[in-house]
Amino acid sequence: MRKLSKLLLALTFALSITSSAFAVTVASWGGAYTESQKLGYGDPTAKALGIDINWVDYSGGLSEIKAQKEAGAINWDIMDVFAMDTITGCDEGIFVEFDFDKDFPPAPDGTPASEDFFTSMPSKCAVGNILYSWNYAYNSEAWNKTPKTIKDFFNTKRFPGKRAIYKSALTNLEIALAADGVKMGKGGDLIYKKLEADGGVDRAIAKIKDLCSDPNGGCVFWSAGAQPPELLMSGEVVMATGWNGRFFNATVGEGAPIVQVWDGQGLDYEYFALVKGGPDEANAKKALSMMTNTEMLAGSAKYIAYAPWRKSSIAVMEAGEPWYKDGKTNMVPHMPTAPANLKKYFLVNADFWADNSAEIGEKWEAMKAGL
Amino acid sequence: MSNETQKILTTDGVPLEESLKKVEKKNKIKAFLLVAPLLFYLLITYIFPIGDMFLRSVDDKMVTKMLPKTFKAMEQWDGQELPPEEVFKAFYLDYRILVKEKTFGKLATQLNYEKNGFKSILKKLARKQKKFTEGNYKEQIMKVHKRWANVEYWRAIKRRAPNYTYAKYLKGVDMYEDENGKIVQVEETRRVHKKLWFRTLEIAFFVTVFCFLMAYPIAHLLATLPMKYSNLLMICVLLPFWTSLLVRTASWMILLQQQGIVNDFFVWIGLVADENRPEMMYNKTGTYVAMTQILLPFMVLPLYSVMKTISPSLMRAGKSLGGTPFIAFWKVYFPLTIPGIGAGCLLVFILAIGYYITPALVGGASGTLISNQIAYHMKSTLDWSFASAMGLMLLVGVLAIYWVYNKLVGVDNIKLG
Repeated sequence: MRKLSKLLLALTFALSITSSAFAVTVASWGGAYTESQKLGYGDPTAKALGIDINWVDYSGGLSEIKAQKEAGAINWDIMDVFAMDTITGCDEGIFVEFDFDKDFPPAPDGTPASEDFFTSMPSKCAVGNILYSWNYAYNSEAWNKTPKTIKDFFNTKRFPGKRAIYKSALTNLEIALAADGVKMGKGGDLIYKKLEADGGVDRAIAKIKDLCSDPNGGCVFWSAGAQPPELLMSGEVVMATGWNGRFFNATVGEGAPIVQVWDGQGLDYEYFALVKGGPDEANAKKALSMMTNTEMLAGSAKYIAYAPWRKSSIAVMEAGEPWYKDGKTNMVPHMPTAPANLKKYFLVNADFWADNSAEIGEKWEAMKAGL
Repeated sequence: MSNETQKILTTDGVPLEESLKKVEKKNKIKAFLLVAPLLFYLLITYIFPIGDMFLRSVDDKMVTKMLPKTFKAMEQWDGQELPPEEVFKAFYLDYRILVKEKTFGKLATQLNYEKNGFKSILKKLARKQKKFTEGNYKEQIMKVHKRWANVEYWRAIKRRAPNYTYAKYLKGVDMYEDENGKIVQVEETRRVHKKLWFRTLEIAFFVTVFCFLMAYPIAHLLATLPMKYSNLLMICVLLPFWTSLLVRTASWMILLQQQGIVNDFFVWIGLVADENRPEMMYNKTGTYVAMTQILLPFMVLPLYSVMKTISPSLMRAGKSLGGTPFIAFWKVYFPLTIPGIGAGCLLVFILAIGYYITPALVGGASGTLISNQIAYHMKSTLDWSFASAMGLMLLVGVLAIYWVYNKLVGVDNIKLG
């Protein structure tokens, strides 16, 4: 019996080695997010194409893939990256450039891929998978008034208490200007125009500084996505910016007394990029094309409240409601792209941040150091 | 004849001196072979990466090679006003080649490090330059984006001309070399690195002091208590040492936050009012508390190992010779523990200076240290040369502290156990 189990163990080990050698490896962020990707489109694609798809965790950024490339041993085929990283990775020649409409299938009604996605891609090396939102949420037990707008986030007179904001300047400057009375414009283009103009960044940073040094306010800076709901639940802060999927999990999943505010939300995207010279580039390309088709992208929204990139995927979800995995929650109203949530929003401008993040980062840190 | 008698021969007729030398040489080779793996290991894991880091931080050949004509044309330009037409033309010719070879993205990344805002205008230029007509390139380039008419951007290009540069080191202390070759500070709102250096040093210094103040009595107890108690105490010291760093940091967050256990306790015993709970987390207090606890074992263990070797009879002798307990401690016991103090302080300080997870999680606004900045440039901006430069500066800083320590206390006095 013992011998048999040992033999089995050896066999499975050998099998796992041989199978992983011919598999497509995707590097993503781990946790509930990777789970949604794996269950939503990874496994179905693997089954349909007969290719194994392995998911590995990484913590973002391009340093690892750049190191792999310099060492001449690339281990990843596909990476789940931020918009800024697709731009840098494309510039550095790390990722493959796509011929978008050729490489990705059209919507079921024949709309070409480039029109089925919400916006155009930030670089030629990117294909979108989800849209998520930087919105804010509050602890509904803090006051009996309800914050409704992005201005309320900065209104410490009406809503006293500490705020949690993201540790770096990304999206904080945008909401600061919006709260300071700058018109959003279409997709936030007026905000970015203001930020690019002289003194725009300083004005936004000053607004944040006011909030953080206000005795009625004050800031906690969060770095991990799990922190905002946690800080709200523990009563450490009364309002927090964060990622809508995390707030969704806390409210719908755990029943926490947290309410999301969509006014002035920042829509941001997550992308797949195909690594140039990855271990199995041809299969990876096939898998990527399938994973980002209409049905597949809609699949991931069953498990997490992030919106699929394709408009046609939303239609699939609407037809299939209640779409959430618990079988009773309608998913579409929780999507950042639901019309009710899109009244005032900005699209996080990857080009602006790719251009300016280093210098803004210095100003931001200098501001934080003076708090 | 006299010479012959002086030389002592071995049985096989070889002079003893020579044969001894031979044996010695053999032994030396053997000894070297024994340490060779270690030496090799050090070379590969230590000397070579540091050398590579240094090269990376000063090497700027890539940009120099990408814009050969431009830099040649720029030699005549004094950097005061917008460069002349020749520079624009040379830049256009260089850049056209880069666009054709699809390597212009790399140039964009590099120039963006030098001056933010380059990425988008270079990309725009890559698209527009295809329709350029012969002649008057200055006007055509300036029409692509208004930043091309800003002399700052051309100065930034010129700064990247040399093959080797120490600009990254200047940047690490918020300085740069301006167009007149003078080294000046960057504008005030952007001076952050110097602040971070001082903050890093300050936190490392105070954490070392706190660790020392707390560890000394503990180590003394450990060394003097009877075995059955000291073993238990030792486990208390070692248990947290074996627990994951992140777990310990997270538990401090639970303990110290405003609605946390410590604050609840203070309110319960009436020390503070409920609506006036002190902030012990997301500021320096939190950083000091968490880092001191995490680094405490590194101070306790060397102190303990030294104190264990000090005979209790020495203190008794001191007292019997007429010293008060304090004098006996100060004149006899304390000097004997200095090697342990040295080792502990050096260990804690060096570990603290490179710390970043804990301050990032519990430090709030002041939670960014220089190592976070290095990680940021490694991971996000991919400016590895700047990250290398700052890493080396940190290393040199540690070495300098080690040197000062050696001058003051003497490295021979360090004892780790």
